Amino acid sequence: MPNIVVCYKWVINEQDISVKEDTLELNCSRAKYKISDYDRNAIEAAVRLCEKYGGSVRTVSYGDENVKASLKDALSRGPAEAYWIEDPSSITADSYVTANVLAAAIGKTGAYDMVVCAEGSSDTYAQQTGARLAALLNVPAVTYAMELDWQDGNIIVKRKLADIVEILQMKGPVVISVLPEICEPRIPGLKQVLAAGKKPSTRLNVSELSLSDEQLKPKNRLIKIKGAVSERKHVLIKEEDMAKNVDKLLEYLRVE
Amino acid sequence: MNLPLTEEQQLIQRIAREFAEKELEPRAEEIDKAGEFPDEAMRMLADLDLTGVPYPQEYGGGGADKISYVLILEELARSCAATALTLGAHTMVAGPILEFGTQEQIEKYAPRLCKLEDYGAFALTEACSGTDAGALMCGAARDGDDYIINGAKMFITNGGYCGICVLFARTDPDTPGSKGVSAFIVDRKESPFEAGKHEDKMGIRGSDTTELIFRNCRVPKGNLIGKEGQGMRIALTTLNVGRITIAAQAVGIAQAALDEAVKHSKDRRQFGRPLAKNQAIQWMIADMARDIAAARLLVLHAAKLYDEGRPFGVEASMAKLFAAEMAMTHTVKAVQIHGGLGYIRGTKVERLMRDAKFTEILEGTSEVHRMIISGDLLK
Repeated sequence: MPNIVVCYKWVINEQDISVKEDTLELNCSRAKYKISDYDRNAIEAAVRLCEKYGGSVRTVSYGDENVKASLKDALSRGPAEAYWIEDPSSITADSYVTANVLAAAIGKTGAYDMVVCAEGSSDTYAQQTGARLAALLNVPAVTYAMELDWQDGNIIVKRKLADIVEILQMKGPVVISVLPEICEPRIPGLKQVLAAGKKPSTRLNVSELSLSDEQLKPKNRLIKIKGAVSERKHVLIKEEDMAKNVDKLLEYLRVE
Repeated sequence: MNLPLTEEQQLIQRIAREFAEKELEPRAEEIDKAGEFPDEAMRMLADLDLTGVPYPQEYGGGGADKISYVLILEELARSCAATALTLGAHTMVAGPILEFGTQEQIEKYAPRLCKLEDYGAFALTEACSGTDAGALMCGAARDGDDYIINGAKMFITNGGYCGICVLFARTDPDTPGSKGVSAFIVDRKESPFEAGKHEDKMGIRGSDTTELIFRNCRVPKGNLIGKEGQGMRIALTTLNVGRITIAAQAVGIAQAALDEAVKHSKDRRQFGRPLAKNQAIQWMIADMARDIAAARLLVLHAAKLYDEGRPFGVEASMAKLFAAEMAMTHTVKAVQIHGGLGYIRGTKVERLMRDAKFTEILEGTSEVHRMIISGDLLK
């Protein structure tokens, strides 16, 4: 029976972010949080596997003071247990720090067959944490998973690569990062939501994770984040001859 | 606006929004156009334990509080008012059974309703008794161990689809007015009755509204709710709850109108700049947001009183009156902001404006609620 850890990120709902028209600065002051969209796929994939074959799913999340509000949301989607690391270091954390914290935390939660996470988070989509986690946990990383199955103690993963689909069979432990197409996340029922409050959740402190200052220091520093604007060039091609129009269009496209 | 909601209530609200965006929004226009009953959406809601939200889980209910229930209705109405009304009208039917019914009645009927094994309908209104519900004519005559029902009900939500209805009928023809009225559970399988044609309505067109016709319909005496003559009290208690739910739906409709108005006024450019740059538009939007926030708080206040077991009738009337009139006013404004486009079928605000109107009429007209509120102050 698979024993699965799922990592998820509690992110700002991008729909609630407004962009200041003149400075293009982002205003997140009124934004609400949600479980990163792709992480919902990861949770769902893990839960479905356990619904089919037995086993258990627990979640681990690292975030700031808001992360505790994610627990019921995560647990209502099927996992049996949640661990969370609430620490201000998460505000400036990059995927290096995040992976260090998550790897240390996963070590505290017991044995596992697989760690499942999304290919990337819906806020930065850096696609770093999964692979880094595997390196830190010293287990294989399986990326771009589009199907996940379990047969006689073996993990079966279908990977979607550029022009081929690769099917792998392996024994755990392993870190698997999944694509959104792996499954459609469920909308939890009311009873699952109400039951989520009764499931166990454990807070882990960064101080318990035996991490050095260096491991908590981000390699990347975010200098500024701005809204994107697409500027239109307002080029109008208006030749009499349609063939010439096409030629000119192609010319412009080549330059671009 | 940050509402004083618990983490659980916020999660339930978020999930209702997720469901509405994913499952209701894409179908809402078609449902409105065709006047199609949202059965599929209701089945999905049942799978999510949302067809008996405020009732105990031991009887198949969702086991949530009334605040969660009104939050769900608001979010559903924001995407499809017809589905929200269908759910609200269905859910209310288990209320009088659970509150006034015998243990036997509760065990037999509440789970069937809460799990949507049967649709529920609340059959009070008649052709000659709308607001003046106590004047109803439908009769229930005692015959041995049964009552024989004869008469017709009008404008019954879910009428065509209901398997169980809570029916109000006159058991004492010699006592005029509300005192001669009693409430019954009518199980359509055991006591067949007919539904008339589906009414072709201005708005909430997917909601099923029919006449119900009872011809010598034999109902066992064990299906009487409470005692003979208690019918009107049972009806009014149920309606008080229903009023909060209609108010919540009005808030959802108005919120959808505001969402559309904000989007359109930022996108639409006239005289070289977005509509939103005009103070006339800004003020309309500000007024909408202000009134929606106020109405939402009135709804939550009434629901909270109900959750706490305190009297909430007047507060329910205030919430319903304010939210319904606010929804009507602001859906009209949203159409105005959209200009010609707002008058065209298929534009969401056009549907919202038609949908909003029902909230001023159903479960007590605005005029009745003014009577209730002033009556309480001037008694």
